[in-house]
Amino acid sequence: MTDKKPNDLENLKDLPGFKRSNPIYFENEVIDHLISITLELGAELWVVKDRLAHLEEALTKNNKISLTDLQTGKPSELLQEKLDEERKQIIKRVYGRLYSKYGGDLAEDKGAI
Amino acid sequence: MTISNAIYKRGKTAGVFPSLSSRRDEAYMSFIEDARNLLLHAQQKPIGEYSKLLLKNAGKSMKPDPRSTEEAKELLMKDNVLKTYYRIKRTLQESFWECTLNSFNMRKNDLLQALDDAEKVGPGSVTYDPDFSIPEYATAEIHIQPGGNVNEPLSGLLYDYGAKVFMGGAADNDMFADMQASTVGTPQNGKVNRILDLGCSAGVTSSALKRIYPDAEVWGIDVSSHMIRYAHARALEKNYDINFKQMLAEELDFDNNHFDIVVANLLFHEVPVSVSKKILSETLRVLRPGGSFTLIDFPGDKRGDVYSMFFGAMDAVDNCEPFLPGFVRSNVEELMEKGGFKMDKYDPDKFILAGRIGFKPIN
Repeated sequence: MTDKKPNDLENLKDLPGFKRSNPIYFENEVIDHLISITLELGAELWVVKDRLAHLEEALTKNNKISLTDLQTGKPSELLQEKLDEERKQIIKRVYGRLYSKYGGDLAEDKGAI
Repeated sequence: MTISNAIYKRGKTAGVFPSLSSRRDEAYMSFIEDARNLLLHAQQKPIGEYSKLLLKNAGKSMKPDPRSTEEAKELLMKDNVLKTYYRIKRTLQESFWECTLNSFNMRKNDLLQALDDAEKVGPGSVTYDPDFSIPEYATAEIHIQPGGNVNEPLSGLLYDYGAKVFMGGAADNDMFADMQASTVGTPQNGKVNRILDLGCSAGVTSSALKRIYPDAEVWGIDVSSHMIRYAHARALEKNYDINFKQMLAEELDFDNNHFDIVVANLLFHEVPVSVSKKILSETLRVLRPGGSFTLIDFPGDKRGDVYSMFFGAMDAVDNCEPFLPGFVRSNVEELMEKGGFKMDKYDPDKFILAGRIGFKPIN
């Protein structure tokens, strides 16, 4: 005699969320894509700004920087602090307006807890 | 090459996390982490109030039951601001996994070699079986993490760095794990010789417990060999003597009455309820009389309102948390009590900072 499999272990692959899906939230999926595109462009723009700031600091201080340092090195702590603050301000200014209907554009930065 | 060099070639991020492979990836992920903080975490309270107002104005029931949740979902997901919030949430989740995976894949061979090397070194140990039979429920791609916990050799590193970004800085320097571990129940008579961390994943809770009880024998078990391989390497960095073993929490390979403390941190919402019941039974078996079990996880539905149920229902599907709805409806405190635990007071308002604590009765 074999034990009967519990109901919640049957057909698991049909359970919502078991497999990765590709959710679309807007009736016009182009809007979904445009939001994703703006986020990706924002992140890539930040990559360039970060690299430029790193490059400028190195050139100002040492008059040179190697490609390895640029790719795997880190800027000074002082510059990092400035970059961290600037990044937060850009995100708030550029994307915060998406939530202005209920005042979410004024919400303050906080972690998960 | 030492273990440390391969994993932390560019130093550690936020004290404990393996650095990404390039400055470019770090900058990208910093943007994603801040975007999550500002566009998701910071919005939780105001968007919750906005959503509740929409429900109230539409005359919808606020009762936390599955039917009201479906009605709330239908109404709320017609709102363009909420659609935007959930689009952003999903896109940022996809972006951080993609960047993390690509970044670690750039040095995949080195990283896997480092995990191989770590296996041969103590203190502590890691034991797994390449032919281990993985239950189907554990193959879900939870949190939409590429390969889930069991099908990606770098899943430990991915999960660890993912948790950093997901927690928006709260997990940096293992701060959050230390806060959670400080709330773990002390066994009756206070003696702690052996501790078991169920579903230990990257071993962060196991390490936090070792910091509190440095002389105790600590075990972390997980279904995923990839997770415990990384957990061991992570613990080794701190010179912690912790034993990690591939094992199912519902089929514990330990003697009766063996542990003084058992902890399950965010495990129960990742397993079906029938498995939860087996885990509770096994936990009671391996705990010594007077030993404590701390189950840290999301509060149950009976505390919530329809909005929090809607929020969880969205997460279940869009963030691949297929067993979350079953867990929050399961009344796990009652399951623990019926299963034989003597329950301590539980405060659901502490969310995942404190758990349900049960003791194995002495008589």
